[in-house]
Amino acid sequence: MRANDFPGGIYPPERKERSNRAPLRIAPLPNVVALPLSQHTGKAALPCVNVGDAVDTGTPVARRDGMVSANVHASISGTVIEITDSDIVIQGDGEDRRITLPPLDWRTTHCDALLSRLDEAGLVGLGGAGFPTYLKANVSQQHAIDTLVVNAAECEPYITADDLTLRYHAADVLEGAQLLARLCGAAHIIVGIEDNKPEACQALQAVLADLGRPAKVALKVIETRYPSGGERQLIKKLLNRDVPSGGLPADIGVLCHNPGTLMAALQAVRDGTPVVERVVTLTGDAIAHPGNYWVRVGTSIASLLEQVGLVQERLHRVVVGGPMMGTPLTSLAAPVTKTTNCLIAATEEELPPAPAEAPCIRCGACESVCPAQLLPQQLHWYARAQNDTALDAHHLFDCIECGACSYVCPSAIPLVQDYRSAKQRIRHKRIETAKAEHAKHRFEFRQARLAREEAEKKARRQARLAQQSPSANGTMDSPSLPVADLRSLRIAQTAAKAAVRKAEKVLARAAAEDPQQRHDDLETQLATAQENLKAAEARLAEARAASEYKEAP
Amino acid sequence: MSMMHASHLGGTPSTAHIMRWVIAAMLPGLGMMTLYFGLGVLSNVLIAALLAVAAEAFILRLRRRPVWPTLNDASALLTGVLLGASLPPASPWWLIGVGVIAAVVVAKQLYGGLGHNPFNPAMVGYALLLVSFPTQMTLWAPPQAIWSDTLWPQILGTVPMTTLDALSGATPLDAFQHKGEAVLASEFWASSPLPEGTLAAWRNIALAWLIGGLVLIVKRLISWHIPVAMLGSMLLLSALFYASDTSHFASPLFHLVTGATLFGAFFIATDPVSSATSRRGKLFYGAGIGVLIILIRHLGGYPDAVAFAVLLMNLCVPLLDTVSVPRPVGQSTAHSGTKRSAP
Repeated sequence: MRANDFPGGIYPPERKERSNRAPLRIAPLPNVVALPLSQHTGKAALPCVNVGDAVDTGTPVARRDGMVSANVHASISGTVIEITDSDIVIQGDGEDRRITLPPLDWRTTHCDALLSRLDEAGLVGLGGAGFPTYLKANVSQQHAIDTLVVNAAECEPYITADDLTLRYHAADVLEGAQLLARLCGAAHIIVGIEDNKPEACQALQAVLADLGRPAKVALKVIETRYPSGGERQLIKKLLNRDVPSGGLPADIGVLCHNPGTLMAALQAVRDGTPVVERVVTLTGDAIAHPGNYWVRVGTSIASLLEQVGLVQERLHRVVVGGPMMGTPLTSLAAPVTKTTNCLIAATEEELPPAPAEAPCIRCGACESVCPAQLLPQQLHWYARAQNDTALDAHHLFDCIECGACSYVCPSAIPLVQDYRSAKQRIRHKRIETAKAEHAKHRFEFRQARLAREEAEKKARRQARLAQQSPSANGTMDSPSLPVADLRSLRIAQTAAKAAVRKAEKVLARAAAEDPQQRHDDLETQLATAQENLKAAEARLAEARAASEYKEAP
Repeated sequence: MSMMHASHLGGTPSTAHIMRWVIAAMLPGLGMMTLYFGLGVLSNVLIAALLAVAAEAFILRLRRRPVWPTLNDASALLTGVLLGASLPPASPWWLIGVGVIAAVVVAKQLYGGLGHNPFNPAMVGYALLLVSFPTQMTLWAPPQAIWSDTLWPQILGTVPMTTLDALSGATPLDAFQHKGEAVLASEFWASSPLPEGTLAAWRNIALAWLIGGLVLIVKRLISWHIPVAMLGSMLLLSALFYASDTSHFASPLFHLVTGATLFGAFFIATDPVSSATSRRGKLFYGAGIGVLIILIRHLGGYPDAVAFAVLLMNLCVPLLDTVSVPRPVGQSTAHSGTKRSAP
């Protein structure tokens, strides 16, 4: 392993030639589209149209809800016929009237306007993660970004969407990269591409010289090895930097973008078109005309496959994404979303069901291919034993779920599935712990408030008593208060003051670190400390009044 | 939501495939042994393999586990072949049977079956026999013709001990071990202590094992770490001994070609189940075996030491696995040792 390389990796059969021979085509306009409200990371968008509304291609139909969310636009012109909890269904009129936003020049327009345009256009990472692009570009507020990486590695077998996008639109992709580089302040752009895409490399070379401004663009062709398209792996390979565990590429001054996203960003700015279509690889042995197509978001997968010659008898299953990290579809009625990069209509021979799981023979093959340099086999045992302490110690959350370990496992153990469910379980547990913690803070606050009220009541009564009958003999309900007790109350008051100051400090530090996060628990803790202070003060006042009352002649 | 299981993309060998290839890679070594020591070698292997499969089927039925899928992984077959290849040629059936039961039933299945046994099953069987039946286990006949008249009686165990003694000779390691303190190495070799052709036979057998082992490495069915570390540490340590006193210790080359060195390095020590798992752990593990073999051969009572060295290192595997954790990408330190983060 060379110094600037990631460890491990595998060489699965590529099967890209099935879809990268045909030209990039446009899929027929669908009659009906179902636009999911959640096509991105974060909260689902909120519908902003009503049933019966007429919409054009590009009309916003749902607005983002909160920071991490994205707008959704009508991908065909027609009428909204149904709005459910998860989808907006539009019946097309076949005319495809387009509505666009005013074009902007990315070189001269203010960055804020560009960012809000990306937001407006509903742009998310089209590579599969679906993270809102405007948020990602905005990261330069907190991190100094020096390099923008164009992740064109496309290391998963079968997928050729980025390959074809680059062959046909290399100039747009690189211009989009310049736009994003301007937004995040990166001075360098590096295109990382695997050496199995010579045509795309040529297309990039051809436009490289023209588009080398303002950021310097470099093309780096890397060896074809899965998972070189993983963000961390690609950054290691191109820049020889390690993304810290639990961190983001931005932490080391890098942003990664997929070519499709960059092109869509440019279109949103230059042409004013929101994300209504994307390039999808349609492949697999069960379809007659595999290739890459511009597909409208919301097109039903069943009708799409139908149009490219699906042979129903040969179909074994449909996979969304690649064969390593994708998900098998349970229903063909599902629509294409912004993050659908590939649909594999596989026959039983090409993607047969996984063989029965055999016992682990501790061969260590998984360890030697793990790109995160974890011990997959140890993780497997701890995951099955639900030993969360050991999972944590073996860095379960550093696993990128690339599936290389499952691929080489001679016992056909579904390792990544185990890790995913273990991660889910641990996340769930953390949420539960946080909830319990929250409840505890609320309870403590209530106790403190009750104690404060009680103490204040007593203090008031004592004060009243002292005022009313200063000469009366104090035997009723005033206990004898030695000076030492008064001092201890004073100490308690000082301690309570210190606790308030400490809680204020902790809250201020947390708020400075993460201004977007709410800190309910810390606020409750501060309030509790304040209640305690008030109670201590009341007790002190009561004691003072009592001692005056007693000392009175 | 279910996800893809990358195993079905094909292209990676299954456990059963690996086991079968290991057996196939033993053929050159077994063939060469047969050539020099007669059909008794093959009878050992056949009887041991048959008994191993039968014992596995029997114990699986007792444990109420699926019999056929498990037999199909060929791991019991491999254990039988490995044990058979380790025994003196034409061993009696009952001796093989005891060894096989210790290996398959006790060392493997009673610990939970394939993948769960802490000790190398074949070596448990071998060590048990060596300790329990030292006489029978040290009767290596000198190189002989392929067919011997006494083969059947020997297998049936009807040959009296005295006759067997007369038939057997000493292995090179045996002879050297028992040459006595007073005899210098040069004097020992000058006395031509071994029957004609013995050393050449062992050398050729070792070469045949080496060929099979290299096939496994080239086909990536075993990793190079354990054999290289084991042979390397053996050569290094025996060279140190040899350099310190050439008149008493054998040369590194002698250690390499005699006994079960190469067979052990490629076929015994590489058993994945009972060896260390990480690449670094495998290097430690292999080196440990090499060191122990040389120490036992030089300072201990047993002429060959592969079985004991392997079993002793099996004991160390849990420790090796904890101290050889690699540093994950993006983490500043490796999590090695037994400390645990606070729960």
